[in-house]
Amino acid sequence: MKTIEKTHTQYLLKQLPKATVLVGKNHEVIDFSDSWLAIFNLKAKDAVGASIFQLILDDNTESHEQLKDCLLKNRTTTLRHKKENTQWLESAFAPWFDEKENILGTIIQTTDISGEVEKELELERIKTMLQAKSEIAKVGSWEYTLETEKLVWCDVTKRMHHVDEDFEPSVNEGIEFYKQGYSRNKISMLFHNALQNGIAFNERLIIQTATGEERWVMAGGKPIYEHGKITKLLGTFQDIHDQVIAETKIKESKQLLTTLIENLPINVFLKDKESRKILVNRSECEYIGASANEILGKTDFDFYDEKVAQISRDEDLEVMRTFKSILGKETICVKKDGTTTNFLTSKIPLINLEGQAYGIIGMSMDITHIKQKEDELRNLINITAVQNKKLVNFAHIVSHNLRSHTANFSMLLDFLVKEIDEKEKERIMEMLLHASDNLLETLENLNEVVEISTNINLDKKSLNLNESVIKVQQNLSALLQNNKVEVLNAVPKGIFVMCVPAYLESIILNLLTNAVKYKDPNRKPKIELRAEKQDKGVLFRISDNGLGIDLIRYGGKIFGMYKTFHNNKDARGLGLYIIKNQIEAMGGHISLKSEVGKGTTFNIFFNE
Amino acid sequence: MNKVNSIYIIDDDPITIFGIKKMLKTTAVCNDIQAFENGKVAIDDLRKRIREGTRLPEVIFLDINMPIMDGWEFLDEFIALELKEKVIINVITSSIDQYDYQKWNDFRLNCQHYLNFKNKPIYKIEPTDLNRLDMVS
Repeated sequence: MKTIEKTHTQYLLKQLPKATVLVGKNHEVIDFSDSWLAIFNLKAKDAVGASIFQLILDDNTESHEQLKDCLLKNRTTTLRHKKENTQWLESAFAPWFDEKENILGTIIQTTDISGEVEKELELERIKTMLQAKSEIAKVGSWEYTLETEKLVWCDVTKRMHHVDEDFEPSVNEGIEFYKQGYSRNKISMLFHNALQNGIAFNERLIIQTATGEERWVMAGGKPIYEHGKITKLLGTFQDIHDQVIAETKIKESKQLLTTLIENLPINVFLKDKESRKILVNRSECEYIGASANEILGKTDFDFYDEKVAQISRDEDLEVMRTFKSILGKETICVKKDGTTTNFLTSKIPLINLEGQAYGIIGMSMDITHIKQKEDELRNLINITAVQNKKLVNFAHIVSHNLRSHTANFSMLLDFLVKEIDEKEKERIMEMLLHASDNLLETLENLNEVVEISTNINLDKKSLNLNESVIKVQQNLSALLQNNKVEVLNAVPKGIFVMCVPAYLESIILNLLTNAVKYKDPNRKPKIELRAEKQDKGVLFRISDNGLGIDLIRYGGKIFGMYKTFHNNKDARGLGLYIIKNQIEAMGGHISLKSEVGKGTTFNIFFNE
Repeated sequence: MNKVNSIYIIDDDPITIFGIKKMLKTTAVCNDIQAFENGKVAIDDLRKRIREGTRLPEVIFLDINMPIMDGWEFLDEFIALELKEKVIINVITSSIDQYDYQKWNDFRLNCQHYLNFKNKPIYKIEPTDLNRLDMVS
């Protein structure tokens, strides 16, 4: 009966699906299931009676010691161990009793758990990685279970909310972290929508952390279905504050730059290697008279005079070749329709990261009006300088001449008061009368000069020069005849000059009279008058064979007031001063050439 | 009364000449007072006197603004004569131009003669206009 039982038992054991082995007290293998043999790759004949250690242990000392320990202690226990370092096994140890509870040995059941262990390890690895990733990327997660209404935040999410790690938020608390207004409304709606309609979301919102700090976050959520029903929401939670701030800053800077370039009151343009415009601002568009779209992709040759465009293209090439900027260069731009503009132009090379020039930045400031003002100003300065010189000269004359007369009055009156002798008194009175006449004459002369200098609206007429000369000749006929002067009027009949009639007469009269006054007594006086048309006016020449003037000595004073250079009683020293003023008042000029003993030639230029 | 041997008055204005001559009557004893209407005739006369070895002027009244040869030009030529005797030259002008005073001062510092500057109107002739030795003694 016992044998049968045993056989039965043994047979039963052999068939057990789970690898099982019976080990005797001396650790010898007594019986086993086929599955056990399979796990350890053993044959039944080798196994029976062999030491369990020799059969199932390999070199893995750690497992070896643990296994030995388990067997020796003979307690109910479970051990994971490795076989040949590739296979994970889990063995359960249990004491083997007979009917009387005597220990016969150990029952060991072994399962190949390699697959499970690997999965476990993989899961662990994934978890660790996820943790690391979420820490590094600042991406947290959350999970909401519909049934329990429980919201779970991961540690990273908690940290982002500035709450302690043991903080457990409710859904409402979670939502209240979002900034009141748009962010909070939005998240409520998204959360609701995800729950009700299964719509996933990913949205940039602002939260207010537990410490009151506002931060940009990216909140994402996605429904999880079980049997067709939403059971959970899984989500991510990412701190994107720095990124948003940086983006905002970049956007703002870009906006600032765009606004600045667009509205600068100077023409700004970017050109590529071929000098095609790739960016233009409003001023440039307005100047060219076309929209940005019409300008982009085109070159200066499309808008400007070819010469000007070529100069500009050469500049572009030079800047790109040398990497040297052109700064504040005065340029002249001519458009196809001939409009000319003065610019102050700068061109700066555009250099890419490889150090190659790929275009230029250009800036041009329209300085046409400044140039015009500059010219006007220069003109004005010249006029003012001349006027000022005249004025100083005139003031000097006035002070000197008037003073000399008044000084004479003072002196003579002083004499008169002290004089007792009647005859002498009479003489002094005569002198006073003479002084008074002198003063009157001086005042008249000054008045004449002032009139010329202050006459702004000159009534200039086109006058025939030849006829004007003849007219003066007739007026002076007595003087000319008395002095036996030979006058040669060689002025071409067709020459007209723009002059004030009275001035022209005064000019010819004075110069002819001067020529007679300063004739050489040893020669027959001869005067030649010639004229020729010139570029912008008429040159009128009066030459004589008179005494001549020492120009080295008197050159600077000839046209001065009250300057006389010859011993001539009729000389007032006023004629040349007056005609110079008259000529200049009409926009012309006068000069002379002279040689003592040979004669003098006056050159008068009349403006057109 | 100062005794002066010879006086030159160089001025193109007859009234000034009349005035100076009149004032000299009361301040100086001089038998040789000569008037010239410009620097040229004065310097010509001086050169003639030097050639003939006659007495040279001890005092000169000199106007600045004159035709043909003005006061400054006369001074240039006068200094160029390099006379042994020191002459008192009274520069007389109605000009109140600082430039004229400056020019006078330049001449004063650069010549051996005594130079006075007299602004018109003149009411009397000072002893120093005629005699410098008095001042020293």
